[in-house]
Amino acid sequence: MQRREFFKVVAGVGAVIVAPSLITTDLRADDGRLYKAYNKVQLVDGDGNPILASKLVEEENYIFNYPFVGVSSILIALPEKTETNVKLKSESGEEYIWKGGIGKKGNIVAYSSICSHQMTHVNKAESFISYQKRCQKTMACPRTGVMVCASHLSAYDVHKGSEVISGPAPQPLASIVLEHHDDDTLWAVGVLGADKFHEFFKAFKSELKEQYGGARKAKKKVKDTAQLVALADFTKDIIQY
Amino acid sequence: MNRRDILKFGAISAAAATATLTGCTTAPKPDNSVKPAVGMGSKAPLPAAKGPRVVIVGGGWSGLSVAKYTKKFAPNADVVLVEQRTQFHSCPISNLYLVGAVDLEFITHDYLQAARENKYTYFNASAIGIDKAQKIVKTTNGDIDYDYLVLSPGIDYDYSPWNVDLATEQRLRTEYPAGFMSPSEHMTIKSKLEDFEGGNFIITVPGGNYRCLPAPYERACLIADYFKKNEIDGKVLILDANHDITIKSEGFHSAYDEMYKDYVEYVPSAAIMSIDLENKKVIAGELEDEYEFTDAAFYPHVRGGKLLEVCGVAKDNAFNKMEGNIDPFTYEVIGEKNIFVAGDARPMGYSKSGNTSNSEGHYLGKLIAERILNNKDIKWKSPLTVCYSAVSAMPNHAISVRAEYEFKGKTLAGFTNVELSQEWRGKTGENNGKALMEWAKGMYRDMFNA
Ligand SMILES: Cc1cc2nc3c(=O)[nH]c(=O)nc-3n(C[C@H](O)[C@H](O)[C@H](O)COP(=O)(O)OP(=O)(O)OC[C@H]3O[C@@H](n4cnc5c(N)ncnc54)[C@H](O)[C@@H]3O)c2cc1C
Ligand code: FES
Repeated sequence: MQRREFFKVVAGVGAVIVAPSLITTDLRADDGRLYKAYNKVQLVDGDGNPILASKLVEEENYIFNYPFVGVSSILIALPEKTETNVKLKSESGEEYIWKGGIGKKGNIVAYSSICSHQMTHVNKAESFISYQKRCQKTMACPRTGVMVCASHLSAYDVHKGSEVISGPAPQPLASIVLEHHDDDTLWAVGVLGADKFHEFFKAFKSELKEQYGGARKAKKKVKDTAQLVALADFTKDIIQY
Repeated sequence: MNRRDILKFGAISAAAATATLTGCTTAPKPDNSVKPAVGMGSKAPLPAAKGPRVVIVGGGWSGLSVAKYTKKFAPNADVVLVEQRTQFHSCPISNLYLVGAVDLEFITHDYLQAARENKYTYFNASAIGIDKAQKIVKTTNGDIDYDYLVLSPGIDYDYSPWNVDLATEQRLRTEYPAGFMSPSEHMTIKSKLEDFEGGNFIITVPGGNYRCLPAPYERACLIADYFKKNEIDGKVLILDANHDITIKSEGFHSAYDEMYKDYVEYVPSAAIMSIDLENKKVIAGELEDEYEFTDAAFYPHVRGGKLLEVCGVAKDNAFNKMEGNIDPFTYEVIGEKNIFVAGDARPMGYSKSGNTSNSEGHYLGKLIAERILNNKDIKWKSPLTVCYSAVSAMPNHAISVRAEYEFKGKTLAGFTNVELSQEWRGKTGENNGKALMEWAKGMYRDMFNA
């Protein structure tokens, strides 16, 4: 069986709620609470070649669509290891554990770009939410090296599963659960935390039509591979304070 | 943030600090007696409450947020939003509407959508009083029983510091509206601008804690931009009762100086002494200088929405008349269990802004839900002021401020965590302009979507 096909079979299972016992530490989710498995998808570059974790530029904002075609997620290789086993809380009070970054250094993280406040997200015209490098000061909070949504100035701690540091965001961003394989490849396998996908598809119908040719297309689950690109190459304007 | 602006914030904070928020001044005694029936004297056409009923009066930035978040956190509550208007028109972004940079549709929203999506009831009526003993809100469409009552009527205008007679006040309201409350006022100003042929267009900035500190200065920029682009031989004359621009002063001053030199004249310390509508002259400032005008939008002092006074839950404070007589942390009316006042009608010296009201609404909704579910209060959380102001339109360039608040005991100590972005030039300014629109869209989503 070809490599590609093999992954298709795995991916074909679709979204299931994973029972706690099925989740390995590799998945970086803890006990299944607020964890949802999606297609297992490999991160590749524009030519379809696998992205290697060791080749990522630190502190660069990378974008890939996951778990749906119309939902962008942000991946960052942080300059240092993240915290591990962070207890987080959704807006409705559900608690879950974020295990930490992956990769050899434990520094690679990925989050849904949909702000948990009012769903500002990365899109092709302009992006108001992104990771701000340690050297970039932000209006949102005194700390640097944080994820900031410039729409209403929420700041998230990317080292702690995107726990809210300041601003109106009521809960962390949904985390994209990643795997790092022995061959240094990167895979997205699920989403941890309270996501905003349903509300997002409802609120941005017309925008999705423009960008993806309709909500139905945007709602398709990503299969097999997702292209990882630098945010600066994806969006016309990165807007930050 | 530069020094000048810290001082400006300091000035507002110092004034705020002198106003201890609970004690003081002319709080009317709580009146629990059953008043003779006002209103219809009959029940409002609403089905019986299925859970504890929370009635919210005023579907502005405050009321909409409280309604949504009360219902969200206490799904068993029966939430009723009483609003006298049939459509929501946003004051934020309305300055861009005045100069044709956005259409009416952008700032107009649907109350039924908000209610449907967030599972509460929108009841189109004016509240005209409350019976505290019986726990009834009287409205122009019947009486509504409540267990929890939130009054968010926003502001009213207070022309009294100008010493104008009622006939002049009436003319000011209709012929020269401020454009800080109703959509009709904004439409009037828009058509004035469209017909404007030249001369001075006066706008005034009141003292006290007026609604939206930067909005008059933003409006001046946008009107000047409009005059410039349309080659109108006009000038915006800003008569400011304050000694300097009250917020983002560096950004506004530099915009006036660099972009609108021939189109804006800024006059500080120019409190209105008298207005002569026949001869179109204004006397302002301690030296009683005279200013002529072709047209104008006179923004008077503000006060708490009249409803608070009618309901006996208002008091005067250091800044304004007849704002809610409430505990600053729970928003509960002093001496009245489960009656709250929020939004621009609160007495705390917060920025009277939509963002502030919205973030406060999230908090108050949660607090009421917690009372319903666990009979407890939640920890106080500062409201958040995030405010963008456009300094030019199409392309939009803007400046912004972000701030929270801190207390010493029950006294407001002022702003904290203040950050300013006053660069309107180049890419930064253009990005601020884009962020302004993104801010507004996010806020509308927050109030009208689930
Ligand atoms: C030109 C302008 C620009 C602004 N720009 C910004 C900005 O960029 N950013 C920002 O954050 N803020 C801005 N603001 C400020 C913002 O609009 C106000 O702070 C906000 O509207 C206050 O919300 P509120 O709910 O307290 O009052 P409102 O929004 O005024 O709502 C009060 C509601 O109560 C209703 N009501 C009153 N009495 C009764 C009654 N008896 N019965 C039933 N209903 C009643 C009214 O009809 C109204 O809908 C701006 C304001 C203006 C005017
Ligand atoms: S949408 Fe991100 S802070 Fe509001």
